[in-house]
Amino acid sequence: MKNLLEVTGLTKRFGGLVAVKDMHLTIQGGEILGLIGPNGSGKSTVMKLIMGIERPNAGSVKIDGEEVAGLASHQIARKGVGIVFQHSRPLHRQTVLENIKLALLPDSLLQLFAAAHVEERAHEIARRVHLDHVVNRLPGTLPFADLRRLELARAIARNPKVVLVDEPFAGLTAPEVADFSNLIASFREEGHAVLLVDHNVKGVANLSDRILAMYLGEFITEGSAEDVMRNETVRRVYLGGAIGHAARPEAPEMRDELLRVENVSVFYGKAQALEDVSLHVGRGEFVSVVGLNGAGKTTLFNAISSLVPSTGVVSFDGADLDGKTAGQIARGGIVQCPESRELFGEMSVRENLDLGGHHLPTEEAHQRLEWLLDLFPILKTRAGQDARTLSGGEQQMLTIARALMMKPRLLILDEPTLGLAPVILEQLSKALETLRQTTDITVLLGEQNVTFALPHADRVYVLEHGRFVWEGPPDRFATEAGAQFL
Amino acid sequence: MLKSKTFPSLVGILLLLALLPFGVSGYILGLLTLGYYTAVFAMSWDLLFGFAGEVNFGPSFLIGVGAYTAGLLNHYYTWPIWACVISGGAMSIIAGLLLAVPALRLKGPYFGLVTLVAVLMLQNFIVLFAGITGGEIGLDLPDVLAVDDGSNYWIALAFMGVSGLILFGLSRSAVGLILQASGQDAVQAGALGFNVTKHKLAAFCISALFSGLSGAMLIFYEGTVSVGTVVDIAVGVQVIIAAVLGGRRTILGAALGAVFLIGMGEMLRPLGEASTFVVSAIALVTIMFVPGGFLGALLHGEKR
Amino acid sequence: MKFLQILVDGFAISSLYGVGAIGFTLIFGVSGVLNLSHGSIMVAAAIGAWAMAGDLGFGAVGGAAGGVAVGVALALITYTLVVRPIQTSSRIAREEKEIFVLTGTLLWGIMVQEALAYLFTSNPKTVRPLIAGVVDIFGVRTPTQEILTALISWAAIGLLWLLVNRTKAGKVLLAASINPRGLTLLGFELPTIYFWVWALYGLLAGVAGVLLGSFLGVSSDNVGQLTASAFSIVVLGGLGSVTGSLIGAYVVGYLETITAYSGAPSIRTVPVLLLLVLVVYIRPQGLMGRR
Repeated sequence: MKNLLEVTGLTKRFGGLVAVKDMHLTIQGGEILGLIGPNGSGKSTVMKLIMGIERPNAGSVKIDGEEVAGLASHQIARKGVGIVFQHSRPLHRQTVLENIKLALLPDSLLQLFAAAHVEERAHEIARRVHLDHVVNRLPGTLPFADLRRLELARAIARNPKVVLVDEPFAGLTAPEVADFSNLIASFREEGHAVLLVDHNVKGVANLSDRILAMYLGEFITEGSAEDVMRNETVRRVYLGGAIGHAARPEAPEMRDELLRVENVSVFYGKAQALEDVSLHVGRGEFVSVVGLNGAGKTTLFNAISSLVPSTGVVSFDGADLDGKTAGQIARGGIVQCPESRELFGEMSVRENLDLGGHHLPTEEAHQRLEWLLDLFPILKTRAGQDARTLSGGEQQMLTIARALMMKPRLLILDEPTLGLAPVILEQLSKALETLRQTTDITVLLGEQNVTFALPHADRVYVLEHGRFVWEGPPDRFATEAGAQFL
Repeated sequence: MLKSKTFPSLVGILLLLALLPFGVSGYILGLLTLGYYTAVFAMSWDLLFGFAGEVNFGPSFLIGVGAYTAGLLNHYYTWPIWACVISGGAMSIIAGLLLAVPALRLKGPYFGLVTLVAVLMLQNFIVLFAGITGGEIGLDLPDVLAVDDGSNYWIALAFMGVSGLILFGLSRSAVGLILQASGQDAVQAGALGFNVTKHKLAAFCISALFSGLSGAMLIFYEGTVSVGTVVDIAVGVQVIIAAVLGGRRTILGAALGAVFLIGMGEMLRPLGEASTFVVSAIALVTIMFVPGGFLGALLHGEKR
Repeated sequence: MKFLQILVDGFAISSLYGVGAIGFTLIFGVSGVLNLSHGSIMVAAAIGAWAMAGDLGFGAVGGAAGGVAVGVALALITYTLVVRPIQTSSRIAREEKEIFVLTGTLLWGIMVQEALAYLFTSNPKTVRPLIAGVVDIFGVRTPTQEILTALISWAAIGLLWLLVNRTKAGKVLLAASINPRGLTLLGFELPTIYFWVWALYGLLAGVAGVLLGSFLGVSSDNVGQLTASAFSIVVLGGLGSVTGSLIGAYVVGYLETITAYSGAPSIRTVPVLLLLVLVVYIRPQGLMGRR
C-alpha cells in the first residue's frame, strides 16, 4: 500500500509561539491513524496545516506523492483532502439535500445548474449517512448527531483520498458513536486514508489502526493503542503519574449545604448539553466533577454562574439564584476560573489582580493581595509584566489568584491543568493543598485529568454526555469508574 | 422556503404590473418608474451582501460610475442611448474590479470603509472636474428614453423584470449556493474546494454590472445626470435601507423595499422636511423589531 | 506668514477633531460599536448651545454647558434606545449584530439630523463664543476663542487620559476593551459599564460639538461629513487606539488646513481620503492599531 498522506518536518509558528514543531506522520490508503494530544498540544493546528487553512512555516505535506504545502485551501481540497469539522456550520436557509449538493458542485462560475447526476448522488450519500428521512428539512431543525452526519456527508461527497476528522465522537451518545464508527470505518474499506484527531486514546482506540501522540507541538510516540498507553511520556502527560489519592483528613460528617443544583438542563439550539443534572456541595468541601472533553463540565459551571440560560434550580447558601446576573452571582461569592482563563492580556499581573479586588475596600484588597503573592510567589516576581507574556502555568496561577482576590465562598475551577506541563501541575497541586489547609474555602473542580482531580477531592462526580453517571468518594473511583479514563 | 412556483408567479406579477398604465395616473407611474430603478440598485446590493456576505457601504460608487460614463458619452459624443448604457455597465465592472481586487483582502469594517471612501472620492472627483462633469449642478442630456409616462414605465418595468429574474435566478442557482457558502464560512467553503475569492469577485462584478446599467438607465429617464441623484451618500443609504427593509438575502425583498421606500417618501411629502424623519423612523423600527424585513417576516410566518 | 497661519489654525482644528474622535474610538474600543450617529450628536450639542445661549438667554457659558448636556443626553438615548436593544435582541443573529448596529445608528443619526433641520432649519449657526477678542501670535491675528478651543480640547483630552490611566474606573474601561467576559466573571455589570462609557462619549462629543459650533459654525447638513471625518481619523489612527486617534486627528486636521490654504478649499477632504485608502491597504490596522 502506498502512502496517501505523508507529512515531514511540519512546523508552524504563531508569533513567538511554536505551535507545531518538526511533526511527521504518514497514512496509507485503507488505514486509520488516530492523532491524540491534550488541548493545546497542536493537533488541530496539524490538521489545519494539512488542509491549508493555515500555512506552514516549514515542512512538506504530500498527498498521494504530490507536494501541497503552501497551497491555498481550495487547491488542497481539489488534490483530494477532505475535512470533517467539529462544529458544522451548514447553510441554514438551504435544505439538507441542498447542503449535500453544494459539496458535489464543481468550482465553476459558469455552471448555473447542477449536473443531472448530482441530485441522485446527493440522495445516495444521504442514505449512506442515514439522513434520507430528513433530506428536505432545514439544518436548524436537526438534532446534533444529524448535523454531524451532514458534515460527514459533505466529506463523502468530495470523495477525497485523505479524510481529516476532528473529534469524531464529541457530544454523541453511545449508539451514535457506534453508528459513526461504522461510517468512518467504511472510508477505510474504500481505500481512503483517514486521520482522526481526538483528546485521548480511548476516543479513537477501537477504530484506529495506529495511534500517534503529540504534546506541546511535538511528536511523542506512535504505535498500537496499547503501546501508546504504555508510553512513559504519555502517561505523565495524561495522568501525571500513577492513579492514586492522597491521604486526607476525614471529612466532617455533617456539613451544611453551600451549593445546590437541582434538575438543571441546558440546550444549545436543538442540542442538549446538560440533562437534568443535580449536585450539591457542602461548606468547606472539595468536590471534583470528572468527565471527558465535551461531557458538559463547562456548561454546568456556566449554568451555575448564569453565563448560559438554563432550566432547573440553582441555590447558593439557601438563596435561589434565579434572575440574578452573572455579575451579581460572582459578587455574591461564586467565582469561576474558566478553562479559557479570560485574563486581561495587555494588562499587568498586578492590574489583573487589582481588578479582582475592585469590589473590596482598599485596605482589605491590599491585605489579600499580600497574602496571595505569598501563596503564589512567582506572581510577585512577574507583577509588572503583561499577563499575556506569562507561561501557561503562570497564567493559570494568575487566574486562580485573581479569582481568590474576590474572596470567593465557592471557587469553581474549570480544567486548570489544560495544556500544562507535569512539573507545573505539581506546583498547582501544592498551591491548592495549601489553600485547603489554611482556609475554609469550598472548591468545585472540573477535570479530565483524573490524577489531578482525585487527590484533593472529598467527593467525585463523573459526567458523561451531559449526565452524571457516577458519584462517590475518590478511593472507590479507581475500581468503579476509573477504567474508562485514559 | 421559496418554492418552484416562484418563477411563474413572478412573471404573473410582472404582467399585472405591466397593465397599470391603463388605469393609473402619470404621477404614480413616474413614482413607480423611479422605484423600479432603485429596486435594481437594491437587488444588486443584496446579491453582494446577502449572498457573498460583503457589506458594500458605497453602492452609489458603482451606480455613479455607470451613470456618469453614460452621461458623458451622451453629452459630449452623442452616442446612442443603448451604447451609452452598455458602456456604463462595462465601466462599472471595471471600476468595481479596481475597487474589489484589493478591498476583498480586507475584513470587517475595513471593506465597508473602503467602499464608502470610494463614493466620497468619486464625488470629489466630479466636483473637481466640474468643467467637464458639470460639478454639483450636473449635466443635461440630449437624449431621453421616452417622453410619455407609459413608455418610460414599461421600459423601467421590463428592465427591472429582466434584471430581477437574472439576479434572483442566479441567487437560486448552483453558483448562488457556492456564493452563499463562501459568504457564510470562507474556511469551510475553501475546504470544500471552492475558490472563495473568485466567487466573491464574480458577485462584485455582477452587482457592479446591474448597478451601472440601472444608473445609466435612470439618467436617461430623468434627462440629467447629477451627484445628488446617482452618487451622493444619501443615494447609497437609501439603497441599503431598501434592501434591509425588504428582507436581506431574498433579492426580491430588496425590490419590494425599494418601491415601498420611494412610495413612502412621496406619500409623506406633505410633511415637508419631516418626511425623511418619518421614513427613517419606520426603517429603524423595522430593522429593530422585524430584522428579517418584509419578505423575511412573510416567509417566516408561512413556515409556522 | 501663511505657514504660521496654517500652523495655528491647523492646531485648533486638529485638537477639536481629536476630542470628537477619541470619544468615537472609546466606545468602539470598549463596546465594539461604530456609532454612525456621531455627527448628529455633535451638531445637536452645538445647536443646543446656540439656542440656549441665544434665544433662551442662558448666556454664553450656560449655553455651552447646556449644549454639552444635550450631547450627553443624546448619547445615552442612542445607547438605550438603539444600540442596546439591537445588541440584546434574540431575533438578530450574532454575526449580523455589527451591520445592524451600523444601520441602526445611521438611521437614528438621520432622524436626529432631520429633527434638527425641522426645528431649527438647516441654516448655518455660530455658537456665541465664550470669549471675544483677537490675539496676535507671531504676526498671525488669531481669535481668542480659537486659542480657548485648543485649550479646552487639550484639557478634555488630558482629563480623559488621567481617567483612563490613573483611576480605578479607567482600569475597568481598559479591561472591558480587552476582555469583557473576564470582567463579568469578576462581578462587574457590563451594561452599567457601557452606560457610563456612552455618557463619557456624549461628554466628549458634546464638548467637540459646542467648540466646533463656536469656531466654524455648524448646520444640520454637516452631520454626514462630521461622522465621516471622525471615522477616517479613527481608522487612520487605528480603531480603538486613543493615541492613534489623536495622531490621526492631527494628520487629518493639518492635511485639510494645508489643502484649504493652498487654494483648493473645495477639495479639502481629498488628500485625507487618498491617505486613508493608502493606509487601509498597506496597514489595515491603522497607524497605532494592534493585532
